[in-house]
Amino acid sequence: MNEAILKTTKFCKTFSSGRGKKIKLVEAVKGVDLEVKQGEIFGFLGPNGAGKSTTLNMLTTLLAPTDGKAVVAGFDLLTQPEKVREQIGYVSQAGGADGFSSAFENLVLQARLYGISATDAVSKANELIGRFQMKEFALREANTYSGGQKRRLELALGIVHRPSLVFLDEPTTGLDPQSRAYFWEEILRLKKEGMTVFLTTHYLEEADHLCDRVAIIDHGTIVVQGTPQELKREIGSESIIVDFAMDKELEQAKLLFESMQNIKKIFAQENKLYLFVQDGGGMIAEVLRVLDKEKIPVSTIGLSRPSLDDVFLQKTGRSLREDKN
Amino acid sequence: MIFFKDIYLLFRRHLRKALRAPVWLLMGLMQPVLYLILYMPLLKSMGATALLPTGEIVRVFVPGMLVIMAMGGLFAGFSFIDEIRTGIIARWLVTPTSRVGVILSLICNQLLTLFFQACILLVIALFLGLHVSLIGIALTLVLILMIGITMSSLSYAISLSVKDEGILASITNTFYLPVMLLSGIMLPISFAPRWIKIAAHFNPFYYAVEASRSLFAGDFGSHIVLFGFGVIFVFSLVALSLAVRALNKMAV
Repeated sequence: MNEAILKTTKFCKTFSSGRGKKIKLVEAVKGVDLEVKQGEIFGFLGPNGAGKSTTLNMLTTLLAPTDGKAVVAGFDLLTQPEKVREQIGYVSQAGGADGFSSAFENLVLQARLYGISATDAVSKANELIGRFQMKEFALREANTYSGGQKRRLELALGIVHRPSLVFLDEPTTGLDPQSRAYFWEEILRLKKEGMTVFLTTHYLEEADHLCDRVAIIDHGTIVVQGTPQELKREIGSESIIVDFAMDKELEQAKLLFESMQNIKKIFAQENKLYLFVQDGGGMIAEVLRVLDKEKIPVSTIGLSRPSLDDVFLQKTGRSLREDKN
Repeated sequence: MIFFKDIYLLFRRHLRKALRAPVWLLMGLMQPVLYLILYMPLLKSMGATALLPTGEIVRVFVPGMLVIMAMGGLFAGFSFIDEIRTGIIARWLVTPTSRVGVILSLICNQLLTLFFQACILLVIALFLGLHVSLIGIALTLVLILMIGITMSSLSYAISLSVKDEGILASITNTFYLPVMLLSGIMLPISFAPRWIKIAAHFNPFYYAVEASRSLFAGDFGSHIVLFGFGVIFVFSLVALSLAVRALNKMAV
């Protein structure tokens, strides 16, 4: 396997708020160990407030860690942040395109800030305008762009200096499905060109589709790390989703299922029960039979192949979808 | 060298932005010009009853207006907060650009605007009867630009720690009026009762106003000029270091 391009050991961040005796410590990141390998797309997942952004801010040199170590793109994050900055690209969630400048002006300035000469910066900007199909609006102020156009510019800004490692913070949030598909293509292309991509996302199907490996963070600690396939295999093969009309019925059914041996794990969310089982096809009949015998009405019942959603639900006890807004 | 190149590159971008929305240039100019046109005539008539020459009134009033204008740098944080929110500042901080350079480029842009505004104000004042030496004007402009550094740096430092226009507005408004009144901008503090005089001595901008009045009067060597320069110089350095520190601590 390839060697690591990013490695953190016992990475911590504690924020303090208040003063004097009332000082309150908030541990946002508690001892995170991550390893990202050269050339892969690494997905970093977690609900809001889990420590995702704080970790990303530290890895991109915007925030100093309280404790721990990190080597990013071959340099020590704590002692050589300037070296790290030269090597990495970063596209924040907010984006960071300058609305008062055109795409061309944005790109030229960004290239110049990385020490690229004026003439090279111009040809670099033109190359990226071509690559991301921005020609028709490249000379207009970015304030006039649509969401998808602005996002394209921002991705271009993040890779203007051909970084070996690029951080994308929720690159497709708020985009329409068509733009999202476009971004997936572009992200895969970055990988093909040899870049390592560190990606955070709210969309698990995105992580499933793009990422070679993922890590899930919750309450400031990594709860699981591995390839999507490994993680899915680990939680069992399939899940049966039973939808009830009433809470009372759900509670009744939950008690019943807890005593069934073939069900590995049970989760209740809203008015649905998720039953994680080995052999879904065989179990669905069994489940229906039990419910029928106890005269518990069921609205719908379905079988789902394990997805990262299920992994997430099992590891954090929450569904990322519900968490989205 | 790279340091200066980065400041220049970012400064050019700020300038482009300012020129695309030149309303900012006029906003800072509005208040002092209105004072000059709608308020100074009152002072002139009052001075006439006290047998003061008109030229003297203008010479006392205009330096105060220049200081007021420079104090407008406090409002620099508003567009800065907007840029923090849109992620531009974070994007620059992740590049190898010097962080001090990011702040300095913003301040340079503020100073250029301030310089133009001060020149326009002075031209208007000349038409209204200002008589003052070129050296007096030049030295006063240096002092005014130093106040501009102090105020915009303070504004950036506050913006970086609160990141909210509403809070920035309430902080600057609370701060602005008493500081302005206690620096004798409208009328010299020498007219004030003793307790106000004492309070004014704790206000750095009081020295700035007095120093620029002395410069306008041609009194270049007076100790108040030296003192005014000294106080504002120290304050500008302190404010600048606060802004740089706040930028280094910024989390997005």
